[in-house]
Amino acid sequence: MSSPPSSVDRDGTQGRSPVLAALSVSVLTVLFAGLWLTLVGPTDPGSWIIGVPAVIAAVWARQRLAPAPGRGLSLLGALRFLPVFLIESFKGGIDVARRVLGTRLRVEPGLLTYRLSLDSRAARVFFVDLVSLLPGTLSADLQGDTLVVHALDCRVDAAPELLRLERHVARVFRERLPEQGAPTP
Amino acid sequence: MSELLAIPALILLLTLGAGLVRVVIGPTPTDRLMAAQLTGTTGIATLLVLAPVLRAPALVDVALVFALLAAVAAAAFTRQRRSAEEP
Amino acid sequence: MVALHWLAAALILAGLLFFVAGTVGLLRLPDALSRLHALTKADNLGLFLVALGLLVANPEPFFALKLLLIWLLVMAAAATGAHLIAKRAVRGDGEDAP
Repeated sequence: MSSPPSSVDRDGTQGRSPVLAALSVSVLTVLFAGLWLTLVGPTDPGSWIIGVPAVIAAVWARQRLAPAPGRGLSLLGALRFLPVFLIESFKGGIDVARRVLGTRLRVEPGLLTYRLSLDSRAARVFFVDLVSLLPGTLSADLQGDTLVVHALDCRVDAAPELLRLERHVARVFRERLPEQGAPTP
Repeated sequence: MSELLAIPALILLLTLGAGLVRVVIGPTPTDRLMAAQLTGTTGIATLLVLAPVLRAPALVDVALVFALLAAVAAAAFTRQRRSAEEP
Repeated sequence: MVALHWLAAALILAGLLFFVAGTVGLLRLPDALSRLHALTKADNLGLFLVALGLLVANPEPFFALKLLLIWLLVMAAAATGAHLIAKRAVRGDGEDAP
């Protein structure tokens, strides 16, 4: 390991150039303006009387409340993950529907634990939420590094699937997972 | 086409009603908490389907507000008991 | 045009099927956490298909953006809600203790 496992940069502002900060404010402004446009529709320009203050307030609140993430997000990682997510969440719905609609219920529910390697809070929350949307698994509890997962069918080993998912999340959040040969039981 | 969407709206309401049976019979509080999930998703779908039937596009905005509040509702429901027990 | 309407109808019907599956799962599955699986995953996919069907019937960019926003919010709500409810059940707060 060349670099020590970095914890999340709490105040986040240090070491950021003013150019970068201005860029992030303008990106945020465009995003919130787009959100406002989504809410009210394009046909009513008068709505900007409320919209402009709302967008400014939103950008200000975002800057105040959320410290900038340590590494930022990888757009490429996110784009690579999106189709995987769509397909997997489709499979999740189909899987549960097939198990339930058959004449005989095909479930063998049980709990299993999984050790998280993800580091930052945002990445962990994202992962925990994803686990619940993907086939056969539901994240039930997170204590320290241990994620308790409820599996709809514990005859199928869910760990490889979770590991694959965690790698995707790590790529989106620009994190490096430790190379683990075998996950701790 | 628009009027025909009343049928899916009706079916959605029926699944919502049938799902509420589980909320009524329980047996655990966990089952009852699922009402938040059930009414969230199914209610939003019903509103979206009803919007063209009733020619009320504002129902889409209502669905948006429901979606926004669904997460808050789930958080509030699950917090309630714990904070009531702790003191 | 007609073909698009059929596609929209097919998507909405498929979505309804998943909503029905979610409710059937809610009634049939043996334990509370499994029921949560059915509710979270099947209803989410159902909403996605219904919204896609409505979009095919009424293809407007701003309607699409609004539906996308609703879908994202519902997913976040469903995943967060499922986790919170499951955590409550697993930790045995209240009467849920096995």
